[in-house]
Amino acid sequence: MAFKPASQKFNATINQVEIGSGDKKITLGGECTLPFYTFDAEIPNAPKVGVELTDLGIDETLPGLKEFYAGAATVAEQAAKAATMEGADFISIRFEGADPNGENKSVDECVEIAKAVADATDMPLVICGCKNAEKDADLFNKIAEALAGKNVLFLAAKEENYKTVGASAGLAYNQKVGAESAVDINLAKQLNVVLGQLGVKNETIVMNVGTATAGYGFEYVVSTMDRVKAAALSQNDAALQMPIMTPIASETYNVKEAIVSEEDFPEWGDRETRAIDMEITTAAACLASGSNAVILKHPASVATISKMIKELV
Amino acid sequence: MAKFIVIGERISTTAPSINKALTERDPEPIVKRAKEQIAAGAAYIDVNIGPAESDGEERMKWAVQLIQSECDNIPLALDTSNAKAIEAGISVYNRSKGKPIVNSADAGDRIGYIDLAAANDAICIALCSKGVVAADNDERMAFLQEMLERGLGLGMEAEDLWFDPLFLVIKGMQDKQMDILEAIKMISDMGLNTTGGLSNNSNGMPKELRQIFDSNLLAMAIMNGFTSAIVNPNDKRLMETVRVTDIIRNEVLYADSCLDDLN
Repeated sequence: MAFKPASQKFNATINQVEIGSGDKKITLGGECTLPFYTFDAEIPNAPKVGVELTDLGIDETLPGLKEFYAGAATVAEQAAKAATMEGADFISIRFEGADPNGENKSVDECVEIAKAVADATDMPLVICGCKNAEKDADLFNKIAEALAGKNVLFLAAKEENYKTVGASAGLAYNQKVGAESAVDINLAKQLNVVLGQLGVKNETIVMNVGTATAGYGFEYVVSTMDRVKAAALSQNDAALQMPIMTPIASETYNVKEAIVSEEDFPEWGDRETRAIDMEITTAAACLASGSNAVILKHPASVATISKMIKELV
Repeated sequence: MAKFIVIGERISTTAPSINKALTERDPEPIVKRAKEQIAAGAAYIDVNIGPAESDGEERMKWAVQLIQSECDNIPLALDTSNAKAIEAGISVYNRSKGKPIVNSADAGDRIGYIDLAAANDAICIALCSKGVVAADNDERMAFLQEMLERGLGLGMEAEDLWFDPLFLVIKGMQDKQMDILEAIKMISDMGLNTTGGLSNNSNGMPKELRQIFDSNLLAMAIMNGFTSAIVNPNDKRLMETVRVTDIIRNEVLYADSCLDDLN
């Protein structure tokens, strides 16, 4: 009997969400098939790669990274530099320094940084917070106001602050809203539903369903993304048809393989190479599981992952 | 399996206001009821225009075009004993959201409705009866077999025959209820689709009991593989059962707000 391939093209589509404005704006989603299944249906918008920056500056313990950003002293200068990175589609600024338990930078100070970045580059911007729900709500509100018209994505609203973030970024300032859940499919759906009840349109929502570094319980990430895409595509669940964006670097640079020095673990080899390997492996796995965008730190990782996407889509 | 399919029953000449609107070609009450049912979760809208012996064809065409144009081409079940009216309705029917349903054939005088559905690439509701209600499940399944063979012989896909075991009223036929549920199980085990006017079970009961009986019987029927029903989607208790059983069967992903929008 002749082999008859089963096509997995669905009668449902992931929403298309635009981020940024002008020539550089990007579109996430739009596909009606599984990740990279271009043999079953066209994938109109290839997955996108973002560059991770933080208000705390560049990690100078990584020589390659330090060299790439040499001479770029401010976050705005670093953003301008990041925009030249091979394979970069957008820039993500993480305001780690706003954390009340850390440097506790004022919201005004962070807004100034965001404005300077927006002036320094025409790349689409993603704004990430400090993980303190209350501070993030305030921070996102003020940045959403300051960057009105820039079509920025705020990553992300959480269970604790979705009302404030949805109302300000999503409704008042017409920006894009991220919905963050930590590897919990039911919460991922719930957040989208309640944002919808608030009046935020499905087409302005991007999900961060959470991740882990490859090797660190990553099978839960895979099963979560699989289940989300199954609900969105095969069950046509409108509450899960939002594209997924996954911050990778903020996870992978915190694991042992990316931290310990070569002096302490000579058999593991060069630290920066290891860090890049962890970042690339995790990003590739997330994209294969359903992420529509990943956020990476190292230029070598950005170049490799963007090349992989180009080869497959 | 898939999500349970709700066919909204509220556009029917048995409702005086709808009967009047159909007769006078007054769109407003019909569109309103169609939209209410769709908002509540109906996947199909049943359009029961009555026997409509005099103007059935025009009446069905008007209703089909009205509801589909106002409701994003929602798929419809065309429900009348006037076969020509069903054909007329199909002639103006928009298939972009799904095939039309012919409502309904049986193994007796109305067997020709299967031919009608086959000739028009439609789904057909097939009542497991032959003039009279089946005496037992042997007879019920024999009727089913006759209709299945007829449909398949005419080139229909088995999945386009939706078998209705015929729900019986509890007040009077209480001892037959488990037979109906067993029939659903047998039909489901054959891989076939089922449907039916479930609320017949609670006919004659006080209003406050009807929803309770309907929703509990529905849960039992779904457990046996029941795939669709012709019901009132604006019955909140019933729709809770539909939603919850879809989740328990893993056809819809759970979220805390899964029943928020029912009212």
